[in-house]
Formats: sequence, structure tokens, C-alpha cells
Amino acid sequence: MAAANEKITADAIEATEFMDLSRKYRVTGVPKTIVNETIEILGGLPEKMFVRQALDMPEEQGT
Amino acid sequence: MGLLSPQDEATLKQHLSAITLPVQLVLFTQTFGGSESGDVAKQILNEIASLNDKITVVEKNFVLDSEDKAKYNVDKAPAIVILSDDTDTRMRMYGAPTGYEFVGLVEAIIVAGTGKIDLDPETMKWVQAVDKPTHIQVFSTPT
Repeated sequence: MAAANEKITADAIEATEFMDLSRKYRVTGVPKTIVNETIEILGGLPEKMFVRQALDMPEEQGT
Repeated sequence: MGLLSPQDEATLKQHLSAITLPVQLVLFTQTFGGSESGDVAKQILNEIASLNDKITVVEKNFVLDSEDKAKYNVDKAPAIVILSDDTDTRMRMYGAPTGYEFVGLVEAIIVAGTGKIDLDPETMKWVQAVDKPTHIQVFSTPT
């Protein structure tokens, strides 16, 4: 997603190495995705579902 | 001794052969007070770079190279900044890219080195329509 849009940055973070961050975002299972400090996505999702949630899209836009 | 088996090296080399653009892997590590994962990250990146002459590793010091740190907005180490032909792809990896993280790194390198983004066309439209800063952080572990 980051490569496709200049407005998007994407960080892959090793959870056990950055425990302060893992605690901050309450990472108890992986993968866990945080978007703009507010959206939380637990687990791995199909592409469209993931992007829809990450971009906080209303349900009807994706169907 | 390398971290990759000869068979894994051959497979990886095959995947990386699709690369047509120069890829720079800018690695920020901390010499003093840093974790051993910086050394592991360096070894992994160097092994990857040895398999394709379009991939280069650029080492930076997290403390001393403050200008580059600010330029790439790096706030923790070890950090890997992935550039495509010297252009920031806005993809970062924090921590040693081992296990599953290694797969993600290779995929990111291939995106940077081919310019091809493997998204469904409809998904791509949604992504390209984003008009506000969007920071995605994905937490994972090597296993």
C-alpha cells in the first residue's frame, strides 16, 4: 500500500524486540496492525477486507 | 557461515532475478547500546545483496547519522529503509528480519525492484484514492 500511494507509510515491526511499542498497542497476538494510532486489525485478513478496514471505508464502498 | 542454505539461496536468487531497478537497503543500527539484532539484520541484508547486483546495502549509524534519520523519519533501530532507485518507497522494517519477517522483506524488495504492486485492481483504486497521511504499523514475530 505504501508503494502505491505517497501518503501512505508502512512499518513492519518485530513485536518482541520493541516491547514498549507492543505494550503501547496491546499486542498480545500477531499479526496486529495499527493504522494512524486508532484503527486496530487483528490477524491476517483477505486483501480487500484488510484494505477496507485499514482505510476505514464504509461497508457499502467495498461491496 | 551464511544464514541461508545453498538451496534457499538458489530459490531466493531466482525470485530476485525479476528485479530491474536498483534497490538500496538503508540499514540504521546502533553501535553502542544497541541490540544484537542490528548485527543479524546486517548479515541478512548482506546475504540478500550478494545474490543480486542491483541490491546494495547502505549502513547508517542511528545516533551519528541524524540527518538521514530525520530524512527517512526513523525513530528506532535496527531499521531498514527500502529505496527504489534512490526513491523512498515508504516501506520500513524495524528489528531483525528473521523468520516470517524475512519473507516480508523479500516481498518488499521485489516491489521496490520491479515497481510492480501485487494488489487487486479494485483494491489498488481504493489505495490510490487515499488523500491523507496514513501510517500503517504491522506487528509480527519471526515464528
